[in-house]
Amino acid sequence: MKKLSLLMISILLCTSVLFAQGANEAAADEDVTLSVMWFNDANESDVFLEAIEGYLAENPNVTVDMQVVAFQEYEQKLKLMISGGNPPDVARVTNNHLSSLGTSLEPIDSYVDDIDSVKSEFMPGSIAFAENSAGELLAYPTEATANGMLVNIDAWTKAGIDVKELCKTWTWDEWEEAVKKVIAANPNMKYGLALDFSPHRFSTIIYEHGGSMMNADQSEVDFHNDGTIAAIERFDRLHKEGLVPSSVWLGSENPAELFQAGLVACHIGGSWNINTYNKNISDFEWGVVNTPIGEIRSSVPGGKFIASFKDSKNKEAAMDLMAAFSTKEGNEKYCADTFNLSARVDADVPYASNKDDFDTFAEDLKVTPAFTATEWKNSAVNKVYSYIREQIVQVLLDNISAEEATLNINKEAAKY
Amino acid sequence: MTKKVKFMKKKSQNGNFHQTLAPILFLLPNLLIFGIFIIIPAFQGLRMSFMQWGVFTAKEFIGLENFKNLLSDEVFWITFKNTLVYSFCTVACLLVSSLFLALLLSRSKIKGEKAFRATFYIPALLSLISVGIAWRFILGDEMGIINYVLRATGNNPVGWLTDGTIAMLSVILVTVWAQSGYYMIMFIAGLQAIPIELYEAATIDGASAIQSFRKITIPMLKSTILVVLVLATIQSFKAYELIVTMTKGGPGYATKFVVQQVYQVAFIEDRFGYASSMSMVLMAVIAIFTLIQFKLTGKEESVE
Repeated sequence: MKKLSLLMISILLCTSVLFAQGANEAAADEDVTLSVMWFNDANESDVFLEAIEGYLAENPNVTVDMQVVAFQEYEQKLKLMISGGNPPDVARVTNNHLSSLGTSLEPIDSYVDDIDSVKSEFMPGSIAFAENSAGELLAYPTEATANGMLVNIDAWTKAGIDVKELCKTWTWDEWEEAVKKVIAANPNMKYGLALDFSPHRFSTIIYEHGGSMMNADQSEVDFHNDGTIAAIERFDRLHKEGLVPSSVWLGSENPAELFQAGLVACHIGGSWNINTYNKNISDFEWGVVNTPIGEIRSSVPGGKFIASFKDSKNKEAAMDLMAAFSTKEGNEKYCADTFNLSARVDADVPYASNKDDFDTFAEDLKVTPAFTATEWKNSAVNKVYSYIREQIVQVLLDNISAEEATLNINKEAAKY
Repeated sequence: MTKKVKFMKKKSQNGNFHQTLAPILFLLPNLLIFGIFIIIPAFQGLRMSFMQWGVFTAKEFIGLENFKNLLSDEVFWITFKNTLVYSFCTVACLLVSSLFLALLLSRSKIKGEKAFRATFYIPALLSLISVGIAWRFILGDEMGIINYVLRATGNNPVGWLTDGTIAMLSVILVTVWAQSGYYMIMFIAGLQAIPIELYEAATIDGASAIQSFRKITIPMLKSTILVVLVLATIQSFKAYELIVTMTKGGPGYATKFVVQQVYQVAFIEDRFGYASSMSMVLMAVIAIFTLIQFKLTGKEESVE
């Protein structure tokens, strides 16, 4: 009887150990479907899927369910998903999203062995956007973006101007003088400059005129300063003189389309336009030049990131995927195929073309004051984003002065 | 005798079941959907309008504060005025254009009448976003087809979407173009319900076409006109997609309506509570207009 009992206990123990082991294996190999939310500037979603092919091959239990949403609807959709307690596992976000969604993002710190080492792999500017006030890393930077000036080189050459040379030292006044000659030399060219209908792109002019959007200690929104007022006044004058098409800021025409149609000599836009223009422009030569100097030369830093959320269902797997995608190899492939500036310090992106153009964006970025990133990280600035645009338009319509616009923006921002 | 009474009682109970409970059961799925997706969110919206509410901010009951702030919100009142102007002009134009089309295409001898009806109805089937994008390409200042033709023929281009007044006219006209076909169908149904004998008798009495229209068509169409008025008014107060794709509410605030402002305040500024109070005001205005129109309909039916 004793022997029988011992035998029974031994069998029981063995089977339970075996079952436990089996259960552990099952947990390790449990199928995971990661929901990924994405928006495209050009072909980023396709390249992302290509870049993670290796990771998915190594982890056959992981599949990706990607949802690509139009950028205009993206933030609203993301906010609704977060407020409903059902955010995606991974999402592509901009630096603006980081400031508005920051509290709902899952910090990466506890998922990696050495967070400082991870941070050191990326540009300090990109990390500054991705950190919360406690210094936790909320997202992996994927690409850095910069604002800059893209020009129709053929049109400038036709006017006898070597724009690549002139741009090295030109001021805004010199740019105005030169661009008038370009318009005169090109019968089909109607305007000197198209600027995206975006306060972010407009802030390039603000910074160049020595302006800012916040006070000196960055504690509150403050547009009421000489530089910002001068920038708005110049923009208004350029409209009145017909150097800037009113159809962008007063209508709803796309400045990139005007540039591609050869109607404008210059376009102040983001570095992501390189990809678009590469694909769409074949009938004239274009390139990137240094932006004109006002008080200083400046770009506006920005970036795109990938992040997971506190309420995501598969945070562990999401963090693994993001880490794999953000390696040097993954990032270089992604940036090369999407024509974006890498946010990694060690990246040597093998662009198929346009290396000079990326270098010019990077040059402007290097001389950009550091406070510009802090300003665009501020949530109050992002909350009055549409209001800033509306107030500049009110100046263009002669309903208010530039100074009144800056005071109105301050008043509105004080509500947050 | 007692048995007979009991039997009748049972029968009448069954009858009651069929007459009262059965229709309710049939209506139940629809009521459930209406309750879950309309009534509950509406009450939730009402609750939010008394609160400081954002996705990422603490929720706090603030009483009538949102409504008090609305009174001094200049942008809200500009968009409110724009909405009223747009609504009044759109509804008036829609009424005239759809009735005109219906008169042309109802009982007339026009060849290909059905093809014309289909042609005028097609815009009503298109998504308003597609309509907005298409018209933006037609009316655009620099890239628009009309201005291209104007320039090519030596004329000055027109700021269809960049001049405040013209932009408002443009969005009204495009709305009328997009929706006339829908209301035309309603009017055609109304016109075909008018007995032809009335027109024959009027012709024998020597009435002119205009007299027949004023004395027979309009009075007989009154209930259809009121339905069109109610639907078109509600639709115009909710206008959003078409306007955003065509003008983004610009230039400035020229074509910005309350719904766009609600969207901006809620989703960009993350002030859902304040946006809800705007929605409540808009809902109250729509309800008042609808009530007035229903009252008029009620009076009309009682006269008939």
